[in-house]
Amino acid sequence: MSTDVVGRPLSRVEARLKVTGGAEYTSDIQLPRLAHAFMAMSTVSRGRITRIDTQAAEAVRGVVAVYTHETMPRLKQPTYRPFFKPYIPIQSPDVHHAGQPIAFVVAQTLEQAQRAAELIEVDYEETGEPQGELDMGEAFLPPDGPDGPNTYKRGDVAAGMAQADVRIKAEYTIPMHHHNPIEPHATTAVWEGSKVTVYETTQGLGNTQHVVSEALQVPLGDVRVVCRHLGGGFGSKGPVWPHTVLTCAAARALGRPVKLVLSRAHMYTSSGHRAQTHQTIELGAHRDGRITALDHVITQQITRDDVVLFNSSEPIRMLYDIPNLSNEQRAVRLDLPTQSFMRSPEACTSHAQEAALDELAHALAMDPVELRKRNWSSRNMDNGQEWGSNHLRECYDRAASMFGWSRRDPRPGSMRDGDELVGWGMATSAHTAGGRPGSGARITIGTDGKVLVQVGTQDIGTGTYTIMTQIAGEVLGMPLSAITFDLGDSAFPQSYTSGASTTAPGVGSAVKRVCTAARRAVIDLAVAQPGSPLRGVPADRVDTADGHLYDTANRRSRVSYRSVVGHGGKPLDFTVEPTPTPLGYSVGAVFVEVRVDPLLGRVRVTRVVGCYDPGTVLNRKTARSQVLGGVIWGIGFTLFEHTLVDPATARIVNPNLSGYLMPVNADVPDIQVQFIDRPDPASDALGARGFGETPMTGVTAAIANAVFHATGKRVRDLPITQDKLL
Amino acid sequence: MRDFAYARASRATEAVQQVARSADAAFVAGGTDLLNLMKDGAEDHDLVVDINHLPLTGIEESEGRLRIGALARMADVALHPVVRRRLPVLSQALLAGASPQVRHMASIGGNLLQRTRCWYFRGEGFACNKREPGTGCAALEGRSRWHAVLGGSDHCIAVHPSDLAVALRALDATVHTLGPRGARTIAMAEFHREPGHTPHLENALRHGELITAVEVPLPAPGARQRYLKLRDRATFEFAVVSVAVVLRMSGRTVEEARLAFGGIATRPWRSPEVETALEGRPLTERNIAAAGRLLVQDAQPREDNEFKIELAQRALQDVLGRYTGGSR
Repeated sequence: MSTDVVGRPLSRVEARLKVTGGAEYTSDIQLPRLAHAFMAMSTVSRGRITRIDTQAAEAVRGVVAVYTHETMPRLKQPTYRPFFKPYIPIQSPDVHHAGQPIAFVVAQTLEQAQRAAELIEVDYEETGEPQGELDMGEAFLPPDGPDGPNTYKRGDVAAGMAQADVRIKAEYTIPMHHHNPIEPHATTAVWEGSKVTVYETTQGLGNTQHVVSEALQVPLGDVRVVCRHLGGGFGSKGPVWPHTVLTCAAARALGRPVKLVLSRAHMYTSSGHRAQTHQTIELGAHRDGRITALDHVITQQITRDDVVLFNSSEPIRMLYDIPNLSNEQRAVRLDLPTQSFMRSPEACTSHAQEAALDELAHALAMDPVELRKRNWSSRNMDNGQEWGSNHLRECYDRAASMFGWSRRDPRPGSMRDGDELVGWGMATSAHTAGGRPGSGARITIGTDGKVLVQVGTQDIGTGTYTIMTQIAGEVLGMPLSAITFDLGDSAFPQSYTSGASTTAPGVGSAVKRVCTAARRAVIDLAVAQPGSPLRGVPADRVDTADGHLYDTANRRSRVSYRSVVGHGGKPLDFTVEPTPTPLGYSVGAVFVEVRVDPLLGRVRVTRVVGCYDPGTVLNRKTARSQVLGGVIWGIGFTLFEHTLVDPATARIVNPNLSGYLMPVNADVPDIQVQFIDRPDPASDALGARGFGETPMTGVTAAIANAVFHATGKRVRDLPITQDKLL
Repeated sequence: MRDFAYARASRATEAVQQVARSADAAFVAGGTDLLNLMKDGAEDHDLVVDINHLPLTGIEESEGRLRIGALARMADVALHPVVRRRLPVLSQALLAGASPQVRHMASIGGNLLQRTRCWYFRGEGFACNKREPGTGCAALEGRSRWHAVLGGSDHCIAVHPSDLAVALRALDATVHTLGPRGARTIAMAEFHREPGHTPHLENALRHGELITAVEVPLPAPGARQRYLKLRDRATFEFAVVSVAVVLRMSGRTVEEARLAFGGIATRPWRSPEVETALEGRPLTERNIAAAGRLLVQDAQPREDNEFKIELAQRALQDVLGRYTGGSR
């Protein structure tokens, strides 16, 4: 292990393919006899279909089939999570939300299918007044779900509050958000006899495989799922959504391949969203900043038929050394589509916690960095166990120094540049990483010395192809040009969903283990091979580098992988099974500068500095890109992202990239990123932890805290649009 | 979207005849709005007549006026030397609109005819008197952040989204057209209509009438000009409030004030009271504030857009405030 490739800021190994159009995405699939599908969606939010007329639709040239709830093949309701919907649409006349599929049209071309879908006539009976906004009077405490308990207590909150010298209490609201990956969700189903291949935009090949198997009653082994490239997912492609199984069913019934690509508008009602949330948070602290108690309640939207809640309160329960703590996750039922995880559920609770800490720091007249340091914990406060490593205090110091935090005048409104108010704010970034079932892997070293590593994982744009190639190169001691890392096929060894920041530690561990086994086998072969320069050398004296094995006691005794495996006469093949990855915690500190026009209320983020501890940095370029994406998203989250629901009809009114505002280049400031880059001894992936979601946490509160510092106004209702600062 | 026919016109009269012949035909220039409207089902055409090959792209100055061909692209007009030098408010308004890609495609004529961003109009199945007359207006009781507080009716409160139109309104431009009955000119003041009872009728054009040019009188050298656009993100977004200013000063006194507003009204908005209140008086913060109050005196806000009443006044303060120091 001496090639020193881990950490290098390599460009993506598939970059050339992507920029030359050679990367085939799911919606690019072309096949003989491929038919195109489009779905018609309900325009009411709560009701049932009383009449559906498809005559005009069927008359459109090129239309192959128009399925309604009366004619769609029957499907079995999947029980496998994450299939979150408690029903499959187009199986009954019931309408659960606006934008629910009510008909599935298949035609020779996409345009024909779209036109036919427009011509379907539907009458509805509306069955009640639809609710689209959180009514806190309707909040209830759901029973504990598959993602953990909805109530959590430690210590005695009332006693802790009584000990406090200072208490603050605040309410924070965050609207509904949508993922908006640039690549739309797409499914192409191809049947060969009783076996089906599903080309799918998915963050979890296994999820699609299980759900298709169950819904269509096909043995698991007869379902193959393929996803070579993904154009972003952000959680929306982790669950399996009904359109996938509907496409499989139509393709089976028609005996030809069918492709469905969701429209942008369809993605606002068909693939999850970030739930609208309301949070109350109460904090008590001693004068010296030590927090005595925290009381937190998060209320979020669910639907009338399901309870889909995630462990979004992890930051509240885990991060700070707070002895007395209560946390509750409540829900309100709305007539809107099913929510799902969105990079990341913890961003909401992190926002409230880090904004509340800023309020506490202000009330204590204490520096917000100092307040956080005084409540730092080396342990997972949820279960009391020590983290493998946690260099958060160093992150605070390094980021603060880079930012120039010591020059901050703490008084709100005190810093100006010309007519503009300047505000500096900070927050802690923290997200769990790992703690999931892990991954298998397979390696083949050919007689030509070329290496193929295969894992049934996904590259959701984070750089999985690249970092796994680097890990393989590092462990084998082989140049990256000799290594192909392949993913995106359920025929490869099983892996876990690319979500919850688990891919780097889970797949990384599997690649390391399988490469270690293969390397050892090649060494064993080399020291036993007649004529080998290493014949008779003790195996533990042999190391590898640059595609060669060598005797560490006599470096001139060396032989190439190619020569050893070539002389062996047959390729070497190894497989490892999944082993669970330990729960890690990737943390960081983020500092933000904003400028606010006091007359017009306009906020611009002008500078961001972050320092992060993700364990070993596997690739400084892709890791930095995770930070850039998280910070940029944080700007949108805090300043303008907002899915708007019409109050009368509970329909989403801005289901497109024109009405749903995300940051553009002009909104993005200078972003400086540093890493601690020290291995986590608890990680089996060369010391690396997952890092996908960490940079998305904290930054939203840091912006809001900076706005307070600039203006003296606490805007607790996101987004912070200029009208709120007038 | 249904199948439609496409025809390319090589002469303006031919284009006009082609569109005039069919009630469902439309001209297409840059296509940056029309194609979206068709995909969203907000417009339905059986024929689109491509006018991009007509010789209407010229920009010419003569006798104190600038004539801009209807097919000149936003980017070309914004960067034209005469526009930059003599009509900075126009250049700023164009550069504040859309994105570089869109500005290279979108035409001046098409920009004036772009339709409202009201999501109830653009979304399928909502009550909308613009989309389907007589169905009502979902925006009145709905989500109205981007809706008008001025010039609305019980039938529509949609904002006209063009930044260009706001600047042209302040500049007292005229629109040249060619219709089945010949050529005519329409003052910008008469071009866009308030919704009243007929929100689907948005401008003075008759079916088949083609904008051929926009003519702008060049303000006196030394006139202050500025376009201020306030929006929810830094760029590539429509205004929540915008102001176009053409101001002639004599010392600290306002000789002539021409102010047009976008984002707050159903059409590019001018208020004679506001201008009269400023003219002949020194430009002071107090007089600006008084003018601002006049601007919004008849405003009809809703829950989501009430802030525009305050923000529009502050925008006026910002845009005029920099000229209170006297003439240079």
